[in-house]
Amino acid sequence: MKRLVPTAEMTLGPFFPPEFAAGANDLAAGVQGEAIEISGRVVQADGRSLDNVVLEIWQADAEGRFDNPAFSGWGRAATDSSGIYVFRTIRPGAIQGRAPHINFLLLYSGLMRQLQTVMYFDDSPDPLLESMTERSERLVAKQEGANRYRFDIRLRGEGETPFFDD
Amino acid sequence: MVYGVNDMASAVPAYIVPRRDPRTQSEGVVEGYAQTALRWPAQPLARRAHGPSELTRPRLAPRLKASGANLAGQGGTRALGQLIDVRVSVVDEDGAPLTGAMVEIWHCNAAGKYIHPNDSNDAPADLNFYGAARLITDRDGRIDLRTVKPGAYPVPDSGGWWRPPHIHFSVWGRVWLSRLVTQMFFPGEPLNERDAILNAVRDPQARGRCIARFVPQGGNALVYEYDLVVRGRNAAAELP
Repeated sequence: MKRLVPTAEMTLGPFFPPEFAAGANDLAAGVQGEAIEISGRVVQADGRSLDNVVLEIWQADAEGRFDNPAFSGWGRAATDSSGIYVFRTIRPGAIQGRAPHINFLLLYSGLMRQLQTVMYFDDSPDPLLESMTERSERLVAKQEGANRYRFDIRLRGEGETPFFDD
Repeated sequence: MVYGVNDMASAVPAYIVPRRDPRTQSEGVVEGYAQTALRWPAQPLARRAHGPSELTRPRLAPRLKASGANLAGQGGTRALGQLIDVRVSVVDEDGAPLTGAMVEIWHCNAAGKYIHPNDSNDAPADLNFYGAARLITDRDGRIDLRTVKPGAYPVPDSGGWWRPPHIHFSVWGRVWLSRLVTQMFFPGEPLNERDAILNAVRDPQARGRCIARFVPQGGNALVYEYDLVVRGRNAAAELP
Protein backbone atom coordinates (compact mmCIF):
# COMPACT_ATOMS: atom_id res chain seq x y z
CA MET A 1 0.00 0.00 0.00
CA LYS A 2 1.24 3.50 -0.70
CA ARG A 3 2.41 5.46 2.25
CA LEU A 4 2.16 9.21 2.51
CA VAL A 5 4.79 11.11 4.43
CA PRO A 6 3.33 12.86 7.47
CA THR A 7 3.23 16.63 7.19
CA ALA A 8 6.25 18.18 8.90
CA GLU A 9 5.37 19.50 12.34
CA MET A 10 6.45 23.07 12.95
CA THR A 11 6.72 25.27 15.97
CA LEU A 12 3.56 26.56 17.64
CA GLY A 13 5.08 30.03 17.75
CA PRO A 14 4.54 32.53 20.56
CA PHE A 15 1.06 33.71 19.58
CA PHE A 16 -1.25 30.75 20.16
CA PRO A 17 -4.70 32.37 20.55
CA PRO A 18 -5.56 32.92 24.21
CA GLU A 19 -9.10 31.64 23.87
CA PHE A 20 -7.89 28.34 22.42
CA ALA A 21 -6.11 27.62 25.69
CA ALA A 22 -8.70 29.12 28.02
CA GLY A 23 -11.08 26.93 29.99
CA ALA A 24 -9.79 23.59 28.74
CA ASN A 25 -7.74 22.72 31.83
CA ASP A 26 -10.55 21.38 34.04
CA LEU A 27 -11.29 17.71 33.34
CA ALA A 28 -12.72 16.97 36.77
CA ALA A 29 -16.04 18.81 36.75
CA GLY A 30 -18.94 16.38 37.11
CA VAL A 31 -16.72 13.33 36.79
CA GLN A 32 -16.49 10.34 39.12
CA GLY A 33 -13.13 9.89 40.76
CA GLU A 34 -10.65 11.49 43.10
CA ALA A 35 -10.29 15.13 42.05
CA ILE A 36 -6.69 16.34 41.92
CA GLU A 37 -4.81 19.45 40.91
CA ILE A 38 -1.57 19.29 38.97
CA SER A 39 0.50 22.40 38.52
CA GLY A 40 4.05 23.22 37.57
CA ARG A 41 6.45 25.68 36.07
CA VAL A 42 7.96 25.37 32.61
CA VAL A 43 11.48 26.77 32.24
CA GLN A 44 14.14 26.86 29.52
CA ALA A 45 17.90 26.19 29.67
CA ASP A 46 18.83 29.42 31.49
CA GLY A 47 16.08 28.90 34.07
CA ARG A 48 13.77 31.56 32.65
CA SER A 49 10.05 30.83 33.03
CA LEU A 50 8.17 30.58 29.77
CA ASP A 51 4.91 32.39 28.98
CA ASN A 52 2.14 30.83 26.83
CA VAL A 53 3.63 27.34 26.57
CA VAL A 54 0.78 25.03 25.56
CA LEU A 55 0.51 21.74 27.46
CA GLU A 56 -1.98 19.04 26.53
CA ILE A 57 -2.71 15.94 28.58
CA TRP A 58 -4.34 12.58 27.88
CA GLN A 59 -5.14 10.10 30.62
CA ALA A 60 -7.30 7.16 31.59
CA ASP A 61 -10.30 7.44 33.89
CA ALA A 62 -10.34 6.32 37.53
CA GLU A 63 -10.70 2.68 36.41
CA GLY A 64 -7.82 2.86 33.95
CA ARG A 65 -10.12 3.06 30.91
CA PHE A 66 -9.54 5.24 27.88
CA ASP A 67 -13.01 4.64 26.41
CA ASN A 68 -15.23 6.17 29.08
CA PRO A 69 -17.68 8.49 27.32
CA ALA A 70 -18.39 10.28 30.60
CA PHE A 71 -14.76 11.36 30.98
CA SER A 72 -12.97 13.10 28.14
CA GLY A 73 -9.46 12.42 29.50
CA TRP A 74 -8.06 15.28 27.41
CA GLY A 75 -7.17 18.76 28.54
CA ARG A 76 -5.11 21.78 27.62
CA ALA A 77 -3.48 24.55 29.62
CA ALA A 78 -1.18 27.43 28.76
CA THR A 79 1.45 28.80 31.12
CA ASP A 80 0.97 32.28 32.56
CA SER A 81 3.67 34.96 32.55
CA SER A 82 5.31 33.19 35.54
CA GLY A 83 5.58 29.97 33.56
CA ILE A 84 2.90 28.25 35.65
CA TYR A 85 0.26 25.87 34.32
CA VAL A 86 -2.61 24.23 36.22
CA PHE A 87 -4.80 21.21 35.45
CA ARG A 88 -7.77 20.00 37.47
CA THR A 89 -8.52 16.39 36.77
CA ILE A 90 -9.07 13.03 38.46
CA ARG A 91 -6.48 10.53 39.50
CA PRO A 92 -6.22 7.91 36.74
CA GLY A 93 -6.32 4.20 37.48
CA ALA A 94 -3.67 1.68 36.51
CA ILE A 95 -3.71 0.59 32.86
CA GLN A 96 -2.83 -2.89 31.58
CA GLY A 97 0.43 -3.40 33.40
CA ARG A 98 1.26 0.25 33.79
CA ALA A 99 1.19 2.44 36.86
CA PRO A 100 -1.23 5.40 36.92
CA HIS A 101 0.18 8.14 34.72
CA ILE A 102 -0.74 11.17 32.65
CA ASN A 103 0.62 11.81 29.16
CA PHE A 104 1.90 15.34 28.56
CA LEU A 105 2.49 17.02 25.20
CA LEU A 106 4.27 20.38 24.96
CA LEU A 107 4.06 22.90 22.14
CA TYR A 108 5.98 26.17 22.05
CA SER A 109 8.03 28.68 20.19
CA GLY A 110 11.54 27.27 19.73
CA LEU A 111 10.29 23.67 19.66
CA MET A 112 10.30 22.53 16.05
CA ARG A 113 7.87 19.80 16.98
CA GLN A 114 5.87 18.55 19.94
CA LEU A 115 7.61 17.13 22.99
CA GLN A 116 6.10 14.19 24.84
CA THR A 117 6.60 13.29 28.45
CA VAL A 118 4.76 11.33 31.15
CA MET A 119 3.86 12.22 34.74
CA TYR A 120 3.67 9.52 37.43
CA PHE A 121 2.24 9.83 40.94
CA ASP A 122 4.82 7.66 42.68
CA ASP A 123 7.47 5.10 41.82
CA SER A 124 5.09 2.14 41.53
CA PRO A 125 6.39 -0.48 39.09
CA ASP A 126 5.95 0.62 35.48
CA PRO A 127 7.95 -0.62 32.48
CA LEU A 128 8.35 2.82 30.95
CA LEU A 129 9.38 4.46 34.22
CA GLU A 130 11.87 1.69 34.93
CA SER A 131 13.37 2.03 31.47
CA MET A 132 14.39 5.60 32.31
CA THR A 133 16.82 4.36 35.03
CA GLU A 134 18.54 7.29 36.74
CA ARG A 135 16.32 9.95 35.16
CA SER A 136 13.06 8.34 36.23
CA GLU A 137 12.68 10.52 39.34
CA ARG A 138 12.09 13.55 37.11
CA LEU A 139 8.91 11.90 35.87
CA VAL A 140 7.40 11.49 39.34
CA ALA A 141 5.33 14.44 40.54
CA LYS A 142 5.83 15.85 44.02
CA GLN A 143 2.81 15.61 46.26
CA GLU A 144 2.16 18.97 47.89
CA GLY A 145 -1.15 18.31 49.63
CA ALA A 146 -3.91 15.76 49.91
CA ASN A 147 -4.91 16.14 46.27
CA ARG A 148 -2.27 18.48 44.91
CA TYR A 149 0.72 17.53 42.78
CA ARG A 150 3.61 19.55 41.44
CA PHE A 151 5.16 18.59 38.09
CA ASP A 152 7.79 21.10 36.95
CA ILE A 153 9.19 20.83 33.45
CA ARG A 154 12.67 21.92 32.45
CA LEU A 155 13.03 21.79 28.69
CA ARG A 156 16.82 21.78 28.62
CA GLY A 157 19.81 21.87 30.94
CA GLU A 158 20.62 20.69 34.46
CA GLY A 159 17.79 18.51 35.76
CA GLU A 160 16.19 18.36 32.33
CA THR A 161 12.84 16.58 32.11
CA PRO A 162 13.08 13.32 30.16
CA PHE A 163 11.15 13.45 26.88
CA PHE A 164 10.08 10.68 24.55
CA ASP A 165 10.68 10.43 20.84
CA ASP A 166 7.01 9.47 20.40
CA MET B 1 7.96 -4.17 25.75
CA VAL B 2 4.55 -3.51 24.28
CA TYR B 3 2.59 -3.68 27.51
CA GLY B 4 0.69 -6.76 26.37
CA VAL B 5 -1.13 -5.01 23.57
CA ASN B 6 0.05 -7.23 20.78
CA ASP B 7 0.30 -10.40 22.83
CA MET B 8 -2.63 -11.95 21.02
CA ALA B 9 -1.76 -12.90 17.48
CA SER B 10 -4.34 -11.38 15.18
CA ALA B 11 -5.05 -11.36 11.46
CA VAL B 12 -5.84 -7.65 11.69
CA PRO B 13 -2.71 -5.50 11.49
CA ALA B 14 -2.30 -3.28 14.52
CA TYR B 15 -2.73 0.45 14.23
CA ILE B 16 0.80 1.76 14.00
CA VAL B 17 2.48 5.13 14.15
CA PRO B 18 5.79 4.79 12.29
CA ARG B 19 8.80 6.69 13.55
CA ARG B 20 9.50 10.17 12.28
CA ASP B 21 12.06 10.59 9.49
CA PRO B 22 14.68 13.27 10.26
CA ARG B 23 14.74 14.25 6.59
CA THR B 24 11.09 15.19 6.59
CA GLN B 25 10.69 16.28 10.22
CA SER B 26 12.92 18.93 11.75
CA GLU B 27 13.87 18.92 15.42
CA GLY B 28 16.66 20.01 17.70
CA VAL B 29 18.69 23.19 17.51
CA VAL B 30 18.09 25.05 14.26
CA GLU B 31 20.52 27.55 12.79
CA GLY B 32 19.08 31.04 12.66
CA TYR B 33 16.42 30.29 15.29
CA ALA B 34 18.08 31.18 18.59
CA GLN B 35 15.31 29.96 20.91
CA THR B 36 15.76 26.37 19.79
CA ALA B 37 19.13 26.30 21.61
CA LEU B 38 17.43 27.26 24.88
CA ARG B 39 14.44 24.97 24.59
CA TRP B 40 15.09 21.74 22.72
CA PRO B 41 16.24 19.02 25.17
CA ALA B 42 19.98 18.42 25.31
CA GLN B 43 19.45 14.74 26.20
CA PRO B 44 18.41 12.35 23.42
CA LEU B 45 14.69 11.66 23.32
CA ALA B 46 13.88 8.27 24.86
CA ARG B 47 12.19 5.60 22.80
CA ARG B 48 9.20 3.70 24.11
CA ALA B 49 6.78 1.04 22.97
CA HIS B 50 3.26 2.11 22.03
CA GLY B 51 0.30 0.75 23.98
CA PRO B 52 -3.22 1.88 24.82
CA SER B 53 -1.98 5.02 26.53
CA GLU B 54 -0.35 6.28 23.34
CA LEU B 55 -2.67 4.74 20.75
CA THR B 56 -6.10 5.83 21.94
CA ARG B 57 -8.01 8.81 20.71
CA PRO B 58 -8.53 11.83 22.94
CA ARG B 59 -12.12 13.05 23.20
CA LEU B 60 -11.97 16.79 22.71
CA ALA B 61 -15.69 17.40 23.11
CA PRO B 62 -17.14 18.97 25.12
CA ARG B 63 -14.13 21.13 25.93
CA LEU B 64 -13.46 22.44 22.43
CA LYS B 65 -16.22 23.93 20.30
CA ALA B 66 -16.20 24.58 16.58
CA SER B 67 -16.48 28.14 15.23
CA GLY B 68 -17.43 29.66 11.90
CA ALA B 69 -15.36 29.12 8.76
CA ASN B 70 -15.16 32.76 7.70
CA LEU B 71 -12.51 34.94 9.30
CA ALA B 72 -12.72 37.61 6.60
CA GLY B 73 -16.19 38.90 7.49
CA GLN B 74 -18.24 40.66 4.87
CA GLY B 75 -19.67 44.00 3.77
CA GLY B 76 -18.98 46.83 6.20
CA THR B 77 -17.15 44.55 8.60
CA ARG B 78 -14.84 42.93 6.07
CA ALA B 79 -11.26 42.51 7.23
CA LEU B 80 -8.55 44.39 5.37
CA GLY B 81 -6.48 42.38 2.94
CA GLN B 82 -6.71 39.96 0.05
CA LEU B 83 -9.59 37.49 0.29
CA ILE B 84 -8.45 33.88 0.16
CA ASP B 85 -10.14 30.50 0.31
CA VAL B 86 -8.04 27.66 1.74
CA ARG B 87 -9.30 24.17 0.92
CA VAL B 88 -7.76 21.78 3.40
CA SER B 89 -7.72 17.99 3.21
CA VAL B 90 -6.80 15.87 6.26
CA VAL B 91 -5.69 12.27 5.66
CA ASP B 92 -3.57 9.66 7.42
CA GLU B 93 -0.43 7.94 6.10
CA ASP B 94 -2.57 5.53 4.10
CA GLY B 95 -4.31 8.45 2.44
CA ALA B 96 -7.57 7.65 4.25
CA PRO B 97 -9.55 10.83 5.00
CA LEU B 98 -10.19 11.81 8.60
CA THR B 99 -13.88 12.45 9.14
CA GLY B 100 -14.91 14.71 12.01
CA ALA B 101 -11.36 15.75 12.86
CA MET B 102 -10.94 19.02 14.73
CA VAL B 103 -8.71 21.60 13.07
CA GLU B 104 -7.58 24.81 14.74
CA ILE B 105 -6.35 27.67 12.59
CA TRP B 106 -4.72 30.96 13.53
CA HIS B 107 -2.80 33.65 11.69
CA CYS B 108 -1.89 37.32 11.78
CA ASN B 109 -3.78 40.03 9.92
CA ALA B 110 -2.86 41.47 6.54
CA ALA B 111 -0.45 43.91 8.21
CA GLY B 112 1.41 41.16 10.07
CA LYS B 113 -0.18 41.65 13.53
CA TYR B 114 -1.56 38.83 15.70
CA ILE B 115 -4.49 39.19 18.06
CA HIS B 116 -2.26 37.93 20.89
CA PRO B 117 -1.34 40.59 23.49
CA ASN B 118 2.28 39.37 23.47
CA ASP B 119 2.73 40.48 19.84
CA SER B 120 4.97 43.55 20.04
CA ASN B 121 5.19 44.10 16.27
CA ASP B 122 4.53 47.74 15.41
CA ALA B 123 1.76 46.98 12.93
CA PRO B 124 -1.90 48.01 13.12
CA ALA B 125 -4.65 45.80 14.49
CA ASP B 126 -7.71 45.29 12.29
CA LEU B 127 -10.93 45.61 14.29
CA ASN B 128 -12.70 43.48 11.68
CA PHE B 129 -10.26 40.62 11.89
CA TYR B 130 -9.98 37.99 14.62
CA GLY B 131 -7.44 35.43 13.46
CA ALA B 132 -8.57 32.21 15.10
CA ALA B 133 -10.99 29.49 13.96
CA ARG B 134 -11.82 25.93 14.95
CA LEU B 135 -13.39 23.72 12.29
CA ILE B 136 -14.47 20.07 11.90
CA THR B 137 -13.62 18.07 8.78
CA ASP B 138 -16.50 16.72 6.71
CA ARG B 139 -16.92 13.07 5.73
CA ASP B 140 -14.24 13.47 3.07
CA GLY B 141 -11.77 14.89 5.57
CA ARG B 142 -12.10 18.42 4.23
CA ILE B 143 -12.56 21.92 5.56
CA ASP B 144 -12.91 25.18 3.65
CA LEU B 145 -11.64 28.36 5.25
CA ARG B 146 -12.45 31.88 4.02
CA THR B 147 -10.02 34.47 5.34
CA VAL B 148 -7.60 37.19 4.29
CA LYS B 149 -4.01 36.55 3.36
CA PRO B 150 -1.72 37.10 6.36
CA GLY B 151 1.14 39.59 6.09
CA ALA B 152 4.84 39.04 6.72
CA TYR B 153 6.37 40.33 9.93
CA PRO B 154 9.81 40.77 11.50
CA VAL B 155 10.91 38.44 14.32
CA PRO B 156 12.11 40.56 17.29
CA ASP B 157 15.83 40.40 18.18
CA SER B 158 16.54 38.01 15.33
CA GLY B 159 18.96 40.01 13.23
CA GLY B 160 16.58 40.72 10.39
CA TRP B 161 14.57 37.51 10.08
CA TRP B 162 11.12 38.12 8.62
CA ARG B 163 8.48 35.41 8.79
CA PRO B 164 6.87 34.84 5.39
CA PRO B 165 3.07 34.87 5.24
CA HIS B 166 1.86 31.67 6.91
CA ILE B 167 -1.17 30.12 8.59
CA HIS B 168 -0.89 27.98 11.72
CA PHE B 169 -2.74 24.65 11.79
CA SER B 170 -3.40 22.31 14.71
CA VAL B 171 -5.14 18.99 14.08
CA TRP B 172 -5.88 15.84 16.02
CA GLY B 173 -5.47 12.57 14.20
CA ARG B 174 -6.80 9.15 15.13
CA VAL B 175 -4.69 8.67 18.26
CA TRP B 176 -2.75 10.65 20.87
CA LEU B 177 0.50 10.27 18.91
CA SER B 178 -1.07 11.64 15.71
CA ARG B 179 -1.21 15.21 16.99
CA LEU B 180 -0.04 17.60 14.27
CA VAL B 181 0.77 21.29 14.71
CA THR B 182 2.30 22.99 11.72
CA GLN B 183 2.34 26.04 9.46
CA MET B 184 1.10 26.51 5.88
CA PHE B 185 3.07 28.75 3.54
CA PHE B 186 2.12 30.53 0.30
CA PRO B 187 3.73 29.82 -3.08
CA GLY B 188 6.02 32.36 -4.72
CA GLU B 189 6.92 34.26 -1.57
CA PRO B 190 10.59 35.37 -1.62
CA LEU B 191 10.72 35.15 2.18
CA ASN B 192 10.06 31.39 1.96
CA GLU B 193 13.62 30.90 0.71
CA ARG B 194 15.16 32.28 3.89
CA ASP B 195 12.72 31.26 6.59
CA ALA B 196 14.50 29.32 9.36
CA ILE B 197 11.38 27.31 10.22
CA LEU B 198 10.35 26.23 6.71
CA ASN B 199 13.94 25.48 5.66
CA ALA B 200 14.62 23.36 8.73
CA VAL B 201 12.72 20.65 6.82
CA ARG B 202 15.66 19.16 4.93
CA ASP B 203 13.86 17.14 2.27
CA PRO B 204 12.89 19.50 -0.60
CA GLN B 205 9.71 17.56 -1.42
CA ALA B 206 8.56 17.50 2.18
CA ARG B 207 9.31 21.21 2.40
CA GLY B 208 7.35 21.80 -0.79
CA ARG B 209 4.31 20.09 0.70
CA CYS B 210 4.26 22.73 3.43
CA ILE B 211 3.49 25.30 0.73
CA ALA B 212 -0.13 25.54 -0.43
CA ARG B 213 -1.01 25.10 -4.11
CA PHE B 214 -2.51 28.09 -5.90
CA VAL B 215 -5.62 27.13 -7.86
CA PRO B 216 -6.58 29.66 -10.59
CA GLN B 217 -10.32 30.42 -10.30
CA GLY B 218 -12.63 33.17 -11.44
CA GLY B 219 -14.14 34.18 -8.10
CA ASN B 220 -13.45 37.13 -5.83
CA ALA B 221 -11.02 35.21 -3.63
CA LEU B 222 -7.69 33.59 -4.39
CA VAL B 223 -7.99 29.83 -3.91
CA TYR B 224 -5.36 27.60 -2.32
CA GLU B 225 -5.29 23.88 -1.66
CA TYR B 226 -3.37 22.34 1.22
CA ASP B 227 -3.04 18.74 2.43
CA LEU B 228 -2.39 17.69 6.01
CA VAL B 229 -1.12 14.15 6.57
CA VAL B 230 -1.37 13.00 10.19
CA ARG B 231 0.77 10.18 11.57
CA GLY B 232 -0.49 6.61 11.67
CA ARG B 233 -1.67 3.78 9.44
CA ASN B 234 -4.09 0.87 9.40
CA ALA B 235 -7.09 2.84 10.56
CA ALA B 236 -9.32 -0.18 10.07
CA ALA B 237 -7.37 -2.05 12.73
CA GLU B 238 -8.76 -2.35 16.21
CA LEU B 239 -7.30 0.24 18.48
CA PRO B 240 -5.89 -1.23 21.67
